[in-house]
Amino acid sequence: MSAVIEKESELTINTGAKRFGNTTSQVITYALVCAAIFLVPSIIDDAYLLNKFSTYLIMGMLAIALSLSWGYAGILNLGQALSFGLGSYCMAMTLKLRTVPVHTGSEGLPDFMVWNNVETLPLIWQPFHSFTFAVLAGIFIPVLFSMLLGWFMFKGRVTGVYVAIITLAVLVVVNLLIIDQQRITGGFNGITDLATLEVFGFEFDAYGSSAYYLIAIFLTICLFLALAITKSKTGKIFQAIRDHEDRVRYFGYDVANYQVFAIGASAAIAGLAGMLYTIVMEFASPTFLGVKISLSIVIWCAVGGRHSLLGSMLGAIIIVGMQGSLSESETFLETWTLVMGFVFVIVVLFMPKGLAGAVESLILKIKSRNQE
Amino acid sequence: MTSNTEQLELKDVVVSFNGFHALNGLDFSVNEGELRCLIGPNGAGKTTALDIICGKTKATSGVVKFETTDLTNLQEHQIAREGIGRKFQIPSVFQDMTVKENLEVAYCKNNKVLSNLFKFKLGKEEEGLEKLAELVNLQDHLDVIAGHLSHGQTQWLEIALLVAQNPKLILMDEPTAGMTRQETHKTAELFLRLKEKHTLVVVEHDMGFVKEIGDVISVMHQGKMLAEGTASEIEQNKEVQEAYLGSAGITNA
Repeated sequence: MSAVIEKESELTINTGAKRFGNTTSQVITYALVCAAIFLVPSIIDDAYLLNKFSTYLIMGMLAIALSLSWGYAGILNLGQALSFGLGSYCMAMTLKLRTVPVHTGSEGLPDFMVWNNVETLPLIWQPFHSFTFAVLAGIFIPVLFSMLLGWFMFKGRVTGVYVAIITLAVLVVVNLLIIDQQRITGGFNGITDLATLEVFGFEFDAYGSSAYYLIAIFLTICLFLALAITKSKTGKIFQAIRDHEDRVRYFGYDVANYQVFAIGASAAIAGLAGMLYTIVMEFASPTFLGVKISLSIVIWCAVGGRHSLLGSMLGAIIIVGMQGSLSESETFLETWTLVMGFVFVIVVLFMPKGLAGAVESLILKIKSRNQE
Repeated sequence: MTSNTEQLELKDVVVSFNGFHALNGLDFSVNEGELRCLIGPNGAGKTTALDIICGKTKATSGVVKFETTDLTNLQEHQIAREGIGRKFQIPSVFQDMTVKENLEVAYCKNNKVLSNLFKFKLGKEEEGLEKLAELVNLQDHLDVIAGHLSHGQTQWLEIALLVAQNPKLILMDEPTAGMTRQETHKTAELFLRLKEKHTLVVVEHDMGFVKEIGDVISVMHQGKMLAEGTASEIEQNKEVQEAYLGSAGITNA
């Protein structure tokens, strides 16, 4: 009798106590999902649908960014849309300056500036004549901004919910500033009527497969770079900080430096995602820096499983995809938000570790059953 | 091993929380290589004394010196880098990480963000960390997630984390709390081994444990040092007996 009990308890230790999967199986899973993403254009021939899928992938990138800072380093950044929006405006500014003269006012001024009686191109717009500058700015402006904000917060030992409040507040402030500075930013309307992106004579049409592939490539790069970060010692220290910030300090690590890096790395991915979003949406708008999108990212990560980069990414793709198809289907035209809300409640109640956590425990269960 | 060089010195340290003096002019010094036990009735300020040393709490006045460094204005991580490790009363290992990953994080010779970013595999330290796991009897549990360890094992893992950090001075707050008799005895043995390479300051309630490991015992009372000496000296000390009056005497405190 006691032998049976012993064997059973051993089994529970085997299934529950060990880390799920090893690095190799994880890399293979990630690679398979990315390969599937690359296959989509060969299956779908509809330009409109492909454009929609492109936006889903970009939301996936945002979820990866938040999973890195929230799921791994414990920084709940509710201002993630700030990096996203800054990136998208950088891309929009350079593409606006590349539009054919028909769309611009006198002396190459963007149309909305003409309507706002701006006479010369504002200083801040000048360097965006260079595409290289715009791309660098689209990544480094969000990174530097986030790191500066992070430096103030984390050196001042701001933690937990206060980080969420501060980042959200900063997002709202920047959003209002952009709306207010209509002469430079286009205000509520944002920056519209952009040129199609053309690099080395290669055109990335928003509704073509080239833009989709461009996004898929960057998504894959970001996913694997983020995975590499989490596998490095710095990534392990992130997780240690998430679980016991104070304890890590007493080992001699300057916790704030690690947190500043985490929020910066996350901002780089979000900024890149913002630039790509402008390419597929063909405009930039203050709604990109909205509270709504910022909070949505949190929900995607929660549903997908914030402790898993892949889970968060798929969470974003699935939810945005569902939202897209539900809101367009005739049956759910009026009720789709209810359906989504119901899904969230179910996931939060029954899968506290999100879809990724649910899949993990399912596989573990099957494995232990096979062992028996 | 015990040399006469003073390694840690607290001089006239006062800590006041809104007028309440948790430490009230504490003088305390420890020599290199010593294993010092710190006892005292509840509220004597033992934990606060450790907090002062590791930087968790800042002294209102007084001097805290480690070797030649003044710790008074240093931050926690800077104090840790000077060679001071701290174990807290509540075990705080990283629950979602494996035993090995816990040790890896604790091994903090290099604490820079960017160089750790390119470190994916354990280097020369791997053998050392495995030996360390052996020292605390966790060699078969290296890949177990720390949240699944028993209470005693968690305490030991924490001790191993401290050793991985390789500090000159180790501060322990009630390391045997919640341990079985057997585990306590094993911990005592472990401490005697640690003493060979580190200076230890141990806050403890269990007199049996204290007698097993301590050379010199310091007794604190109401934020001050009351007495210092060997176990038998302390037990016969009139002032100490008075301080413990009301609780059932020092042996059972």
